[in-house]
Amino acid sequence: MSKRIAIVEDEAAIRENYADVLRSQGYQVQTYADKESATQAFKLRLPHLVILDIGLNEDYDGGFVLCQQLRAKSASLPIIFLTARDNDFDTVSGLRIGADDYLTKDISLPHLTARISALFRRQEAFKLPVSEEHITQTGRLTLDSQRMTISWKSQPIDLTITEFWLVHALAKHPGHVKNRNQLMTDSKIYVDDSTITSHIKRIRKKFIKTDANFGCIETVYGMGYRWLNPTDTMSSHV
Amino acid sequence: MSSNVRTKAFHIRFGLRAKLLLLSSFLFVIPWFGYQYVWEMEKYLRFGQEQTLVGTARALATALHERKNLFNNQASFLPNVEQGKDLYGYQLTEAIQLDGLHQDWPNFSQRAHFYDRHQQLFSDKVPSLNFKASVGKYDKYLYLFFQVVDNKLVFRGKNSRSITQNDHLALSFTDQNNQLNRFIISNKQSGWISAFTVIDSTETMPIPAPHIQGHWRVTPQGYNIELRVPLEALGEKIAFAFYDVDVSGDNPNSAIGSADPSQQESLGTIVVPSPEIERIVNGMRYTNSSIWVVDQHHRVLASAGSLKQAGGVWQSKNELKSSNASNNLWYQFKQQVLLPLYYQVLTKPPTDFIDKIYDARHLNGAHIVSALSGNAKSQWRLTTDKQALVLSAAYPIYIDNNVQGAVIVEETTNGIRTLRNRALEKLFSVILAIMILGAFTFIIFATRISARIRDLSNQAEHAIDKQGRIIGKMVASTSNDEIGDLSRSFTTAVNRLSEYNHYLENMSSRLSHELRTPIAVVKTSLENLALLEKQRITSNKDCQESPYIERAQTGINTLNLILTNMSEATRLEQMLASTEKIEFDLKTVVSGCIAGYQQVFSEMTFILKTELNALPFYGSPEHIVQLLDKVINNAVEFSQDKIITLALNQHNQEVELLVSNNGRLLPEQLNESLFDSMVSLRAPQASLNKQQTQPHLGLGLYIARLICHFHHGTISATNHYSPDGVTLRIGLPTKV
Repeated sequence: MSKRIAIVEDEAAIRENYADVLRSQGYQVQTYADKESATQAFKLRLPHLVILDIGLNEDYDGGFVLCQQLRAKSASLPIIFLTARDNDFDTVSGLRIGADDYLTKDISLPHLTARISALFRRQEAFKLPVSEEHITQTGRLTLDSQRMTISWKSQPIDLTITEFWLVHALAKHPGHVKNRNQLMTDSKIYVDDSTITSHIKRIRKKFIKTDANFGCIETVYGMGYRWLNPTDTMSSHV
Repeated sequence: MSSNVRTKAFHIRFGLRAKLLLLSSFLFVIPWFGYQYVWEMEKYLRFGQEQTLVGTARALATALHERKNLFNNQASFLPNVEQGKDLYGYQLTEAIQLDGLHQDWPNFSQRAHFYDRHQQLFSDKVPSLNFKASVGKYDKYLYLFFQVVDNKLVFRGKNSRSITQNDHLALSFTDQNNQLNRFIISNKQSGWISAFTVIDSTETMPIPAPHIQGHWRVTPQGYNIELRVPLEALGEKIAFAFYDVDVSGDNPNSAIGSADPSQQESLGTIVVPSPEIERIVNGMRYTNSSIWVVDQHHRVLASAGSLKQAGGVWQSKNELKSSNASNNLWYQFKQQVLLPLYYQVLTKPPTDFIDKIYDARHLNGAHIVSALSGNAKSQWRLTTDKQALVLSAAYPIYIDNNVQGAVIVEETTNGIRTLRNRALEKLFSVILAIMILGAFTFIIFATRISARIRDLSNQAEHAIDKQGRIIGKMVASTSNDEIGDLSRSFTTAVNRLSEYNHYLENMSSRLSHELRTPIAVVKTSLENLALLEKQRITSNKDCQESPYIERAQTGINTLNLILTNMSEATRLEQMLASTEKIEFDLKTVVSGCIAGYQQVFSEMTFILKTELNALPFYGSPEHIVQLLDKVINNAVEFSQDKIITLALNQHNQEVELLVSNNGRLLPEQLNESLFDSMVSLRAPQASLNKQQTQPHLGLGLYIARLICHFHHGTISATNHYSPDGVTLRIGLPTKV
């Protein structure tokens, strides 16, 4: 059974473009132009994944409201914000109310489909038993590339797909400096430098919430970022 | 705005307050008017005083008209009087002691008349005698004093029957019945005089005349005779003569006198102040005037009052005040502070002045001459010491249609002057109070107004910075006047400008936002198209891949990049608002960045000059990096010799970072606006030469400035010369 994806987007051309791409990937796609029709449809049946725009016609925050409603119905339904709003505030708000990812409309379609399939894969992976071959251990960090989850000192840390990919890219080669372009490629986004900076900041905050002494993501000024395992930090200091 | 202020600073500032004060100086006209008014009033009062005075003179003259018996007929009807012959008896104020000394005669030396050979009665030879004589009246007697200078004093022989063969005085006067009485004073020794009545027959014994009393005193120069005659025995004519005898027993060899005492016709007249007229005049003395009555020969017949007390009708109210409220604080203040101040300007009428214009016997003056010729006249004159102004009025006295005398009334203007001074004192006090109060009010008002306007101007200036950006809000005044209106309209204008500026600053972001959707449409459509194309190619090997889709995609990607850059500044502002500052080492950041740039721009050479080992700084390192990115990008682009020099120094509490590159100089006028949004200096050919890998929107240095301001720092660009180039200076305070 192919996955059902709902797209809520007021701009018909974009909506259809996304729908076409996703259909060509073998998904079932339902499209909604406004909040009301989407709400009606979701009352009857929930899709497997929802792509939301924030501003829906006159409804400035319609996407947020929809997201909250959906999250109330299902805790595990993957929700992606795909919007023209690229400011930090909206990003943080969107992620806080339970979206799995927050993407701007300049993302390329392959990047989008990659994320969607990653989200489905992650959902699928949770149904499977944990397989050791996908687990990578770097210092205190445990990466499950199949489930796309991360634990720090055995504590799970909730990350979005993009964030997971960023951490994954950094932690794969501890001590190596990754510049912003490399990070963008690895995390399948194309944004400006300051967005990467805010992504990294958000990731750090999430780690610090678990471990106040977290300092493994180091900024190498003028170059990029690198993952430092505590032992490496020690040695680099020496 | 700022340039205006700068040019104005070169002129002398003539502020609102100064203008208002200048205008209010017109208030000084009011005291001037008051002063003029008081002067005017004084003029009228003087005029009134003049009229009153003439009235007084007329009233007195009316009382004296046609009263012949009051006037001395003999003297009055003379066509002229002869000094020395026609005598005047001064009114004496104190009793005279008959002792032959002139000390009790007031002003003897001035009042006495000097007789010498010019008054010689018969001449054998030059007389060896001269004398001074003075006549006075006291009570019921006429007093005469003679001071005789004689080379040889010859008394009457002890046994001599003759009374004329020695130095003697002949005195003749008519009695009330116009009968001539002749007397000879001929002493045997000094002491009480011996007076004899002379009868024409020389044979008879001399008859003593005891009613003529006096004293004969011998002096080193000659002798003095002081005698008195009862007024009842005295008529209107008199003559006296001294006969000089140098050898005892001889007949007199010379005689000097006022007139020949032997002939009634030759006698001179005597005038004494008339008691009747004086009684009448005394009745007028309550008028605060000094009054004289003169006969037609200007001789004083009566006088009353003293000029020093003659202040006019206004004088009486003068002295009331002083005892009234001397303990009053205001009175004390007035006496000690105000009055001395006022009397710098005002003059106090002198109570002590000297007036010697009139001889007590003989009055002169144009007004008297005029009055004696029948015309009443008043005149102003100064006292002889020029201290006081005297008003005198003269009015003729008629007897039988002839002017027989005149009444002269005199007053000083002291009364009016005192009145005027009091009016001026009051005026000055009131004016002073008004002026002080007015000036105070004016100053407060002007200060308040100018303070408000200055406040408004400061607010307006602080609301807009040198680049014309709105940096603060203005607080609208709530006061309901013109300045309040101005403030409100300023506030409205600034707010609107601020909104407009905000609109402009956000325009790129808004524009990018608006464009994003259609671009997304194009982009997704193109991507779909590309997918379709790919499928078509894979299904049909013959088809060639069309280059157009790829070109369109490249174009749309560049457009997207431009949009991202356009909204970068806005996003940065939003981000900065929520950025937390941390402690970090600025030197590590800078050197790290330079190492990074060296990799990115491999053909450039970066030189960092610093003597610091570590530079702890409080701020946002990510943004400092972003700032460096922008500045270095800029420097790299304009560098000609591919060398970028950086210098990191610390001065006091400021970190200074200099980024220099050699190359094109900045045009002067762009120095400030260089850091504004959408300002780019890149030469058109430069952007043509280079393949447009990065779009230039002139936002780089704008972002740099945003970050600097976030750290409370400054950024500026200056040209440097030989070699030519530009240095960007970033100043960041270490402590905020």
